[in-house]
Amino acid sequence: MKALSILIGIAAGIGLALVIFKYSNRNHKMETQYDERQKDVRGKGYRYAYYAMMIYEAILLILSIGEVALPVESYVLHFTGMLVGAMVLATYCIWHDAYWGLNNNRKRYGLIFLALGILNAIPVIGSLARGGMLENGKLATPAINLGVLIMLVVTGAELLIKAQLEKRGAEE
Amino acid sequence: MKNLRLKAARAAKDLSQEQLAALCNVSRQTISAIEKGDYNPTINLCIAICKALGKTLDELFWEG
Repeated sequence: MKALSILIGIAAGIGLALVIFKYSNRNHKMETQYDERQKDVRGKGYRYAYYAMMIYEAILLILSIGEVALPVESYVLHFTGMLVGAMVLATYCIWHDAYWGLNNNRKRYGLIFLALGILNAIPVIGSLARGGMLENGKLATPAINLGVLIMLVVTGAELLIKAQLEKRGAEE
Repeated sequence: MKNLRLKAARAAKDLSQEQLAALCNVSRQTISAIEKGDYNPTINLCIAICKALGKTLDELFWEG
């Protein structure tokens, strides 16, 4: 029953995200459009993200075989692997000018990032107020929110730095 | 190798990289990368750029 409610929650979240993204693109298309160079760069980004996730999972496997017990719930560990992959992809694309698509409205995406940041900060602050992020001696659900929050902050900082560099270096 | 002919043709038309990019439906950075020689465009993009600038493929991209 718990798994079903989580699945329904994820499905609802994805559905909502798709609607938000549709109205965040200038031409109201769900899909972000990239030019040929950007598609090429993103292909490489996905490759590096795949390598990063494989390495991360291999490390988890070795720890598991070695019976090293981490004070972290297993779902948090695997979710962290997804975040690692997403971070590698985002970072590679940002620094190779392939993060923003041709039809993205950056201001609207900025607002989505901000809203996501606030939504993820609430459970983190709540758990810290209750005395910590550990549940039964292990890092649990709030750690996922913290991970997403860190990812958003790092990605946002990279985008801001890149935008500043772009302003300075824009060739005309 | 830098594509100075493309840069010159764009300047002759008084177009910014941003404007040429919009005409070709690509990002400004892609036009910049082509001019710097950091990216080899496909034939489709070469044709789109040529049409936007009123030039031939030979004039902009052929290294004779």
